[in-house]
Amino acid sequence: MSTFLAIDTSGGTSVAIVHNGEALGEIVIDDPMGHSENIGYALVEVLHEAGLAPQELSAVVVGRGPAPFTGLRVGIAAAIAFAQGIGKPLLGVVSHDAIARDFFATISDNDRAAIDAGSSLLVTTDARRKEVYWSLYSGLDSLGAPICVDGPHVEKPHDLEDQLDQKNVQRITTDIALSAVSLAQVAAANLAGGHTLTDVTALYLRAPDAVEPKAHGKFGKQVSS
Amino acid sequence: MNDVIIRVASESDLDAIMVIEHASFGSTAWPRESMAFELEPNPARHYFVAHDAGTMVGYGGISLVAGHHGDIMTIAIAAEHRGRGLGRRLMNSMLEVAKSQKAAEVFLEVRADNEVAQSLYRSLGFEQIDLRRGYYQPENIDAVIMKLDFTNTDSSGTPGPRVAAAPATGGKSDPLVLGIESSCDETGIGIVRGTTLLANVIASSMDQHARFGGVVPEIAARAHLEALQPAIREALKTAQVSLLDLDAIAVTNGPGLAGALMVGVGAAKALAVATGKPLYAVNHLVGHVGVDVLERGEVQTPTIALLVSGGHTSLLLVRDLLDDVELLGETIDDAAGEAFDKVARLLGLGYPGGPQIDKAAADGNPAAIRFPRGLTLPKDMDKHRYDFSFSGLKTAVARWVEVAESKGEDFSVADVAASFREAVVEVLVGKAVAACQAHNVPRLLLGGGVVANRRLRDVAAARCAESDIELRIPALDLCTDNGAMIAALGAQLVMAGREASSLNFAADSTLPVTQVQSI
Repeated sequence: MSTFLAIDTSGGTSVAIVHNGEALGEIVIDDPMGHSENIGYALVEVLHEAGLAPQELSAVVVGRGPAPFTGLRVGIAAAIAFAQGIGKPLLGVVSHDAIARDFFATISDNDRAAIDAGSSLLVTTDARRKEVYWSLYSGLDSLGAPICVDGPHVEKPHDLEDQLDQKNVQRITTDIALSAVSLAQVAAANLAGGHTLTDVTALYLRAPDAVEPKAHGKFGKQVSS
Repeated sequence: MNDVIIRVASESDLDAIMVIEHASFGSTAWPRESMAFELEPNPARHYFVAHDAGTMVGYGGISLVAGHHGDIMTIAIAAEHRGRGLGRRLMNSMLEVAKSQKAAEVFLEVRADNEVAQSLYRSLGFEQIDLRRGYYQPENIDAVIMKLDFTNTDSSGTPGPRVAAAPATGGKSDPLVLGIESSCDETGIGIVRGTTLLANVIASSMDQHARFGGVVPEIAARAHLEALQPAIREALKTAQVSLLDLDAIAVTNGPGLAGALMVGVGAAKALAVATGKPLYAVNHLVGHVGVDVLERGEVQTPTIALLVSGGHTSLLLVRDLLDDVELLGETIDDAAGEAFDKVARLLGLGYPGGPQIDKAAADGNPAAIRFPRGLTLPKDMDKHRYDFSFSGLKTAVARWVEVAESKGEDFSVADVAASFREAVVEVLVGKAVAACQAHNVPRLLLGGGVVANRRLRDVAAARCAESDIELRIPALDLCTDNGAMIAALGAQLVMAGREASSLNFAADSTLPVTQVQSI
């Protein structure tokens, strides 16, 4: 028996409550900004929709990204605090995994044939600065957890294409949007497979923008004090 | 009638709502898509439905601009359920949200021929303010525009649904409050009981910024995320309380670095929802003033407050901690702390610049070099009497050093550091004392990290003594950014019986100092 609250702010603000694999409530706010404004309302609403009190949840699942900075952190901060607030475990999931799970769970016959013939699912999400975050998946394991064969990484789209072509990676893509419901399902599948999911660090995949100033070394030597 | 419940509407109510919408409004019914849009999660929309034993019997919605006004968008009761007081209950739910979000007034329009509805609205305190001829077409019926002015009515009314985190605790004495501060490079978690400090945990990312010579916002924000959970845990442990014991949570929602603020705001909102505790969004700068309650039990007002840090240089006139804080002036370019950092780098000293300059200046002559005092000329008094500028000073120091170097002169870093520091301190203290005198305020309170500067404290003490001004300098770990000051200000709001903030407030990097609490 598990009742998970899932939070993902790698794109918009998505929260869901999933009980034994089934969605009891889901709030999707498709605003790529405004995460810190929307998160409180989203949490209240999803609890309301599910008809549950916070204490009735058994764990909090959070999407670790990859995502560009600011919004991602709001979801992770909220998940950390919520889990602490109810004294329940916090579980981290790569956000791309949720998209992959959805894809394979609802796969078309054509795509199934392509996957069986050796293609992989290429999940890409906007990384801004004309780059994409990407991950490659080969399918789901027997418990329903996505099998990631490469990624997540960040790349310029044409560099990514070149790289995959060079390695002769056959791939299909999807336009499925991330769902917090799937995120919770991925967490459940991973837990069933014996994974602990304790890593909730944010996947920025980029170093902070910061330039070290030039040293004023020259005059340090010359002066007396 | 007792079986009818009023609850918040969700998108799954759309079908049932449209049935009543069509039956009630006929040809003027909203299209399904419009109604669906209204029901989407949106902090500015609040729709409620009335349910009788599982059947929807009515609904209503209000559009709200928090802190400003509301518009009743629609309200309808299924024909066979009219006359049961359901319209009143739905209206009360909507008005309660409007009140909790501090709307000053609520507007609605109603058909001139609908006497029953108008009398209901009048009984709720609405008054007609206008008439729009032929507003409802094709029947050509006039619309009566009505307004409810909350500032004119008492606050009675049935309690509404819980849209804000939790109800306020109603003037509780000695409330236990946890404060979260993340506006710059310090993750601060403080816990107070009333005006008693129980814990003040500060995790600083200062070391990570050192090689960049100043705070890097992205590094600060990342560090907050990592520091958050351990800091909360440590503060609870130090205070020997649990989250369940808390009466309220307070969080800084500005001013500060946007990305950094958002970490604290996101965490605070989730913590409030998870624990069911009321949440208070408070102003960082006013927190620096409010912290004095932890040492003196109250902030004596009126007082002038000089807040000086790496991010702020502000001069405030505080007539009342919660209701009347005025910004007299602030820096128009660099913050004072930033100027210390930049000049320290220029002189080949370390980061943060304040303590390094202090150390280097110890044996220097503050009168050795006459650096400019920003915005102190008679011509500045008109527009910038209480404003500060340190950019020109920094350039002047750079130029002076450049010239000395080019001449191959052997100069004293101690003298440069002391003279620079003197220029900063003189302007800061000079303007603060002038503000006290001009406003007839016999008190000056210092806050912010630059208060650690020895010379600033000494000069302030001397000048205040000369002018009969009482000087307040809180303990240093309460002067730098910290969560205790946020908790302390939150506790003041609770004790004053203020309503909690909604969950919709934003992290506002330029939050004005006049906004002590965001709703």
